[in-house]
Amino acid sequence: MAGVDDELVTPEEEDRLSRRELLRKAGVGAVGLTAAGSAASKAFAFAGPMRYKGRWLKGDLNILQWVHFVPAYDDWFDNTYIKQWGQKNDVQVHVDHINNTQIPARAAAEVAAQSGHDMIEYLSPPAQYERQVIDHAPIVQQIQSKVGKISDLGRRSTYNPKTKKWFGVNHYYVPDPVVWRHDIWNGVGESPATWDHVRAAAPKLKAAGHPIGIGQSQELDSNMALIAFLMCFGGFIQNDHNRPTLKGKNTVQAVQFMADIYKRGEENDIFGWNPASNNQYLYSGRGSLILNAISATRTPEDQHLPFADDLWIWPIPRGPHGRLGLEHVMGVYSIWKFAKNKASAQKFVADLCINYKNATMASKLYNFPGFPGAMSFKQIHRVAAADTHKPRGKYSILTTIAEKYTHNVGYPGTTNAAIDEIFSTFLIPQMFADVSQGKKSAAQSVADTDKQVQKIFAKWRAAGLV
Amino acid sequence: MSARLRSSLFPYAIAVPFAIVLAFPFAWMVLTSLKRQDQIFDPAHMWRFTATTEGWRFLFHDTQYLTWVKNTAIIGGLVVAITLVLALPAGYALARLSGRFGQSMGVAIFLTYLVPPTLLFLPLSRVITKLGLQDSIWSLVLVYPSFTVPFSVWLLMGFFKTIPPELEDAALVDGCSRLKAIYRVVFPISLPGILTVVIFSFSLVVNEYIYAITFISRSAHRTVSAGVPTDLVRGDLYNWPSIMASILIPSIPLALIYNAFLNRFITGFTGGAFR
Repeated sequence: MAGVDDELVTPEEEDRLSRRELLRKAGVGAVGLTAAGSAASKAFAFAGPMRYKGRWLKGDLNILQWVHFVPAYDDWFDNTYIKQWGQKNDVQVHVDHINNTQIPARAAAEVAAQSGHDMIEYLSPPAQYERQVIDHAPIVQQIQSKVGKISDLGRRSTYNPKTKKWFGVNHYYVPDPVVWRHDIWNGVGESPATWDHVRAAAPKLKAAGHPIGIGQSQELDSNMALIAFLMCFGGFIQNDHNRPTLKGKNTVQAVQFMADIYKRGEENDIFGWNPASNNQYLYSGRGSLILNAISATRTPEDQHLPFADDLWIWPIPRGPHGRLGLEHVMGVYSIWKFAKNKASAQKFVADLCINYKNATMASKLYNFPGFPGAMSFKQIHRVAAADTHKPRGKYSILTTIAEKYTHNVGYPGTTNAAIDEIFSTFLIPQMFADVSQGKKSAAQSVADTDKQVQKIFAKWRAAGLV
Repeated sequence: MSARLRSSLFPYAIAVPFAIVLAFPFAWMVLTSLKRQDQIFDPAHMWRFTATTEGWRFLFHDTQYLTWVKNTAIIGGLVVAITLVLALPAGYALARLSGRFGQSMGVAIFLTYLVPPTLLFLPLSRVITKLGLQDSIWSLVLVYPSFTVPFSVWLLMGFFKTIPPELEDAALVDGCSRLKAIYRVVFPISLPGILTVVIFSFSLVVNEYIYAITFISRSAHRTVSAGVPTDLVRGDLYNWPSIMASILIPSIPLALIYNAFLNRFITGFTGGAFR
């Protein structure tokens, strides 16, 4: 990190970095990167011949990000993208990959130490750290000027309307379809079109030795599946004014309904679910249905598992309130206030988002761009439809899921610090599990959870972030 | 069956099932490490499969596993040395302190062992940063004694109490200094306790996870406990053959060491139990 201290971008300096200037600089980088991308097959290492030679960017850029579910993405990111970008911008980029479950601990440690990486890629919007990160508005504006508006999902997930601050940049999100074994469901004469269908099929599937696998554990996938399920029943953690609204008959009905699905067609394993359980359950050949991103179907295809062609992808089943899903995960880059190379971090994020088509392709359509203009739904649909895996064209539904049924955590409000805390402390899965395990009645569980939710909202409201 | 035969078979009847149960994880690790990734999830290949060393090849060629093992060994060795240097005199002093004070001090030191790393990593990360040790194995060398020393002091304290002070008095009468008496008389008798501390401290270091993932970022600086779950788990895709191979390798020498010093290990743990 030698020699970078004199290049720190303080908040004052950030202000001086005008929008026009950022536009110009990132634009140059984007053009250069596109040109370099054409020579991507010629892999080269950053030898650093131009280190600090009159460039406006210089030094090292340290990024912490998760080990991507699609290994090909990390291969592209580590071995092609950052090397090309680094050479183009005279910046040595270091990327440390960690398991997604380790990110919160690392972020907490870096905040405590006020030191660490320049930015972290989170898997859910880090609203709790709003005060620890820079305002990312200039980056968002820069990207928008090049590729068009950020998605509504991205805006709702990374912009705090109360403080008018962008606490991160959403570079991608992942649609969250229901993945189901067509052969098994066909065998019991059902399909997961609605949650009523799922409940009706549950006992038959379990009897056939293929239970349903929707987790009710303190982990990411359970969180996503159950919050989306709740929304399908008209239960929402907050309203569009970011006021808590969890307690209500819709939530009670949803919790009771899921307990019913568990009793009829699931096994105890779902209470010990972890972020890999969805996929492993499916890969074992036992699972008949999970809510998961397409990594669940890509791995069986890559490994030629015998049932790979029987894995179908559909939007989330319809509930009494409709078909309301969530993103499965959301990639958000946040730059710390204490980052030593803010300028490079800002430009790196802007350039990546502007050129996101390469990233989407490298991720095998796992990453959908946070700025849809970087690769339109039409383009994605065309690529998805051309996928030769059986049943042919199964991935083309992803664009419909992304456009129509993918919402942010905290919908219909925005993802804020209170939602982040509720999400990261897994209150919703716990609320469901307590009922499924017979520890509480549905009404009691919802009432208890609502008390905690109210407290969390009060805390963050007092802190001025909600 | 004669009574004599029955009585001679009896220990085996108990030991053999235990041995099978305890050996099963090792056998499973070996089997899984020799499977192809696609065979892991296929119940048809649970027992019948074509053996491959691909998992082992990946581990040694595509990850920095040997570096992780080396880092773990270096950190473990240094932490054990620091632990012994601090815990031996502390344990001895507390054992010989008469009255309630010694007892209370012993309990107080042990209580620090009970503070979970999940809380301590936050303030400690600040300390590590202040010292400029981020992303260095020295951060772990510095931090790990915070939990190995308290436990070792408590363990050794109990062990030293079982050694009659008269032995040291005799050595003093024979012209030994206090330090020489400890070195010549107390420590040799305490060898089982010291070995217990060595093995136990090393095991704690090998198994530690929170500090290892919090203070170390670069793959080349990781320990086995942090490197395996980070570099061999790609999102929700577990590279089971390589994971099993990676776990098997350090577990074998540890198992052999445990076995070689089993009697002394038991003596070390139970040494202070009856005082």
